[in-house]
Parts: sequence; structure tokens; C-alpha cells
Amino acid sequence: MADQPTASERFLQGILPENPVYRQLLGLCPTLAVTNGMQPAITMAVSVAFVLVCANLVISLIRNLLKPHLRIVIFTLTIATFVTIADKVLAAYLYQMSKTLGPYIPLIIVNCIIICRCEVCASKQSPFIAVSDALGQSIGFGLALSSIAAVREILGTGGLFGVQLLPAAWPDWVIMVLPPGAFITLGLLLGFVNWLSMRKKGGRI
Amino acid sequence: MNYLVDIILIALSAAVINNFVLYYFVGICPFIGVSRRVDMAFGMGCAVTFVISIAAFLSWTITTMVLIPGAPLSSFVGGFFMSKEAAATIDLTVLSYIVYIFSIASSVQFVEMYVRKFFPALYKSFGVFLPLITTNCAILFACLTIMNNVVGVENPADVWDLGRSLILALFGGIGFTIAIVIMSGIREDLDLCDVPEPFKGAAITLVVGGILALAFMGFTGVDSGLKKAMTKTQETAIVISAQPSLHTAMVEEFNRGGMGK
Amino acid sequence: MPDMKSIFETNLGQAWLVLLLAIIFGSSLAGVQAALGPKIEENKLKETLEKVPIVILGQTAADELKSKDQHLTITPNTVSVARQGVTKFYTLYRADFADGTTAGWVAKTKGQGYADRIELLVGMDQDGGRVTGLFILDQKETPGLGNKIVEDAWRAQYSDKSTSTPFTVVKLPRGGENEIDAISGATISSDAVTNLVNQAVSDLKHRVAELKTSEPEGAN
Repeated sequence: MADQPTASERFLQGILPENPVYRQLLGLCPTLAVTNGMQPAITMAVSVAFVLVCANLVISLIRNLLKPHLRIVIFTLTIATFVTIADKVLAAYLYQMSKTLGPYIPLIIVNCIIICRCEVCASKQSPFIAVSDALGQSIGFGLALSSIAAVREILGTGGLFGVQLLPAAWPDWVIMVLPPGAFITLGLLLGFVNWLSMRKKGGRI
Repeated sequence: MNYLVDIILIALSAAVINNFVLYYFVGICPFIGVSRRVDMAFGMGCAVTFVISIAAFLSWTITTMVLIPGAPLSSFVGGFFMSKEAAATIDLTVLSYIVYIFSIASSVQFVEMYVRKFFPALYKSFGVFLPLITTNCAILFACLTIMNNVVGVENPADVWDLGRSLILALFGGIGFTIAIVIMSGIREDLDLCDVPEPFKGAAITLVVGGILALAFMGFTGVDSGLKKAMTKTQETAIVISAQPSLHTAMVEEFNRGGMGK
Repeated sequence: MPDMKSIFETNLGQAWLVLLLAIIFGSSLAGVQAALGPKIEENKLKETLEKVPIVILGQTAADELKSKDQHLTITPNTVSVARQGVTKFYTLYRADFADGTTAGWVAKTKGQGYADRIELLVGMDQDGGRVTGLFILDQKETPGLGNKIVEDAWRAQYSDKSTSTPFTVVKLPRGGENEIDAISGATISSDAVTNLVNQAVSDLKHRVAELKTSEPEGAN
């Protein structure tokens, strides 16, 4: 137990070194789907943060009662409950955004990030550490989504958050807000991040 | 006849036009992870198709029989505790997501047992991938699409029956298989290419996936065109009398040389 | 006896946690549903009803009405149209002024667009003689191209037009009656919307006369 990461380590690891999208390649489904604008991307990041923190907290509180065979069932049950709550809250208070995000909010249930964090961290460490881990991973996820959404929205519509930033003469690269743009942007950004980390390690490209 | 047209359109849309992987972005994880070899990819695709069909059947049945207001089972059980009218308003749809994920988990268990018993060699080569199908977004996505077409639909004629749901699931799985097999074929060739170091692995796969999605975009609009073509005989027989049809007007305009916008 | 105990240990003994959690989560979800369910329904309905005055009266008149703090009374009807064995249902809203006179009718209809389903509201005047306006509720057309069907300028082509001639989509307007200028590069989207409008108008304009003088049917 002594060599388990501390709360601050968990928190900082989740933001960049163990970034869920760029390093662990988890949760790619929402990453591609909702990043055609900054608003949906941020809403999704906040929803995932909510579910991740709550699920980690609950699992961590009952971690001593978990039996090996049934723990996946319990993880799934907890996550599904919090996702339903998030979905209903969004539909009640941010109805238009809920319609834009559509089926991708319920798909948080099968988002590998959350089950992975429950398995790796929450089921083994105290609530405080579990929550810091959840927060770190959520911030990392939010950063990843925002970076992709920023690229796609600026190139695709000439603005961010619906506000026009580029001059009106910019021919919108409509493809960026469509599915192919999502794949290509993520692929290129992933390559870029890999290149950065290789340089940092001092290796040759 | 109308039902058949509907089914064909749903099938085509799910498999090709609105392909689960390349348009809706579900099932990306195995798309990138498992697609190294064509035979593995094909096996994965078949397993997913199998699971998705069973899961869709379970979801539709449970949604229609238990969850929606006025469903047979919930009103029957509720009838013991309250009046018939009150029992008909019991709305259990808030439990939908939990029910779906557990039916998916059960379908995967069932398929795993089946494959282990009847195809032991296949089971050995699959290893850990089979339970991982539970977290495949594509299956939950199919269940959610079915739910959206059953729950809260204003028009009672638009509610999906079991046939449409199963067709969506089956052809969604087939579309997933198509995408993943094409991808693995490309990747087998990509392994022989000189990919720059930072791009090896997931990054280049995503870029190639994007180009594949671009190609599939060419199918957009095929379903609306098909629908128009297949239902034309019915449309023209409607009550409007002595009115020029839309196509006549456009043809006249073309003849007058007015096209070119 | 040891066998029974170990069975109890492995199965029921472990399942108690799952059952307990299921009960706790189930009840909290029921609570959430009770608290938020009505608000969600309200959101769905508001989306349509808010647009009804605008579609019938036009933006300026609707704003004027709102500034005077007056509202239209909206009554929904479900109209079924049977054609060659296929029954299509429309939701037809009747909007009445405060003094009881009918302001107009709004039909909600849905159909296949270019990329996905398009859902729209089309307004008619009190006799079903004129189309008063159009509002796109839901669409997933190509951004920058088919997307333009939501723009005010394009939709205004449907305002204040007679219902006796169906709309036709043309690429170069000749000034004929009820011509709709297609969006360049998005003919199919323009076509789809026009077809939906024509279908709804032709199906419902006669029903309007029937419903006007009778009591409104409750939603089926």
C-alpha cells in the first residue's frame, strides 16, 4: 500500500502525463462526436467530470465490500445511475444542448475512462485520493476535448463558441465539422502530442 | 410494401449511409485496437453483430413490455397496488440505461458461453476481446436508437416494432464489420509503409479512418433518393387534382435552358 | 452443512450489496424522475408552442402581442390522414386570440431530408387559404449548405402564400406563383422541405374547415 500514488500525484498525472485521450486512448467515441463545437465539448467534459467524480466517490466508499466477481456489475450499476441523473439534469436545464449531444450522454456509461478509473484507483484507495484522481482525469479529458473542438470549430466555422473570430472572407472548411474532420483532426493532434513527448524524452524522430 | 421500403431504408442507412463507425463514431475502440489483421477483424465484426442483435431484441422487448407507460407487465403488476388508470401511467423509462447495459452484459455472457462451447478454437484466438464487447459503444448506441424510436414518439404510427429494431441492429453490426474489415485491410498494407514515428499506431489509423469516412460520405442522400424512387407510385395517386407535379415544373425549366445555378 | 454455507457465501452473500445498491439507486432515480420529469416534458412542449405565434403572425406581430402581454390560446389536435392503407398522423395546433377568434393553424410534420429527418412547423391562416410561415424545428443537414433552410430569408418565401397552388422548387425564379428559390448546392434539402410543406398543406387545409366550427378534438 505504501507505493500507491498520493492524491496530488493522481491529480497531476491525469492532466497531461496520463491524459485519458492522448496517452491512454480511452473514451474516443465522445471525443470524436461532440467536438464539432466548443459548447458541446465543454458540456460533455463537465458531464463526464460529474459522473467520474461521483462514481469514484461511491466506489471508493464501498471499496472494502467489493467482491471480485461482482465488482464490474457494481461499477456498471453506479455509473449507469449517475449518467441517468446527468442526462435528466441536462434535459431539464439545458434542453437545446441536450438535444445537440443526443445519444452521446448515455454513451458515457460505456466510456472506458470511467470504468478504468474505478478499477485502477477508486476500488483500491481512499475517497480523497479517488476524487483527486477523478478531477485530474476530468481536467485532462476536458483539455483534450477543448483542443480538438477549438481546431475543428475555428477551421470549420471561423469562430469559437459561435462568435466569429476569423475574417468573413475565410472559406469555412465545412469538412472539419463533419465526421471525416473529426478523425483527421484527432489523428494529427495525436501525432503531434506523440512527437512532443518523443522530443521531451530526447529521442530522435 | 410500405413496410418493406421502410426496412430496406433502415438497413441501408445503418450499414452504409449512416455507418455506425464512420458517421456516428461508435465502436471506435475496437476499430483502432483490433483492426490489425483481416481475419481477426472479421471475427470481431461477426461477434459484435451477434451481440448487437441479441441486445436489441432484449432492449426492445423490455422497453415495450415493461418500461414505457401503459406497458403490459408494469400495468399488470401495478394493477395489484393501484387503480387500472393509475397503473397505466407508471413510467419506468428512467431505468432504461441501467436495463440496457445489463441486457448487453447478459448478451455478451451468452455469446461467450456459446462460442466457448461450439467454436473453441475461435474462443481461444479471441481471448480477452469477447468480454470487452460489453464496453463497445455501438451496442448501447443501437439500443438507444431503438429507445428513441419507441419512447416518447408523438405519432403512434411512427413507433418502431420488433422487426425494424432488429434490422437496425443487424445491419448496424454489418456496417461495423464492413468498416473494420476495410480498415484492417488498409492497415495490413500500412504496416509495410514508412510511417513517421510519432504517427505509428493510433494516429495514422485515425487519419486513414478519416479518409475512409470521407469516402463513405459519398453515400449521403442515397436513402432519401431511394425513398422517393420507391414510393413515387403511391405519392402521385393522392387527392390533389389538376395540379402540376414538382417534377413537371423542373423538367419544363430545364427544357427552357434555365438550369445552371 | 459446510456446502450450504459456502454456497450462501459465494452467491447470496455477495449479491446483497448489488441488491442494496440497486434499491438505493433505483429510488434515487425515481426521485430524479419525479423532480425533473415534468420540467423535461415542459421543455419539449415549449419548444413547439413558443414558435406557434411567430409562424402564424410573423415575428413582428408576435413580438407586439407579447409586449402587450397577450397570448394566443393553443389547442392541439391529432389529425389522421389515411391514404392507400397508410395512415399519417399530424399534430395540428389551433391558435386563438383572447377574444375567441381563430388566429390560425400550425401543423407539425416530419420527413426525410437530405442527411436525416427534418421536423418543421407550417402555419396556415384561419380558413386554410393561405400559408403564413414556416419554422424548422429539427434538422441535420450539411452545415453551410442544406443548413441554410433555417435562415429567415429563405423561410420567408413560404410566408403569406396561397394554399391553392403547391410550392415548386426552381433554380431560377420566373416570378410564378408559389415558386421557391432553391438554395444553391442544396437542392435536395430545399426539395425535401417543400415536399413536406406541400404534403401537410394539401392534407390539412380541408380538415381545417371541418375543425374550425367544431369543438377541438383532444390529442389522441
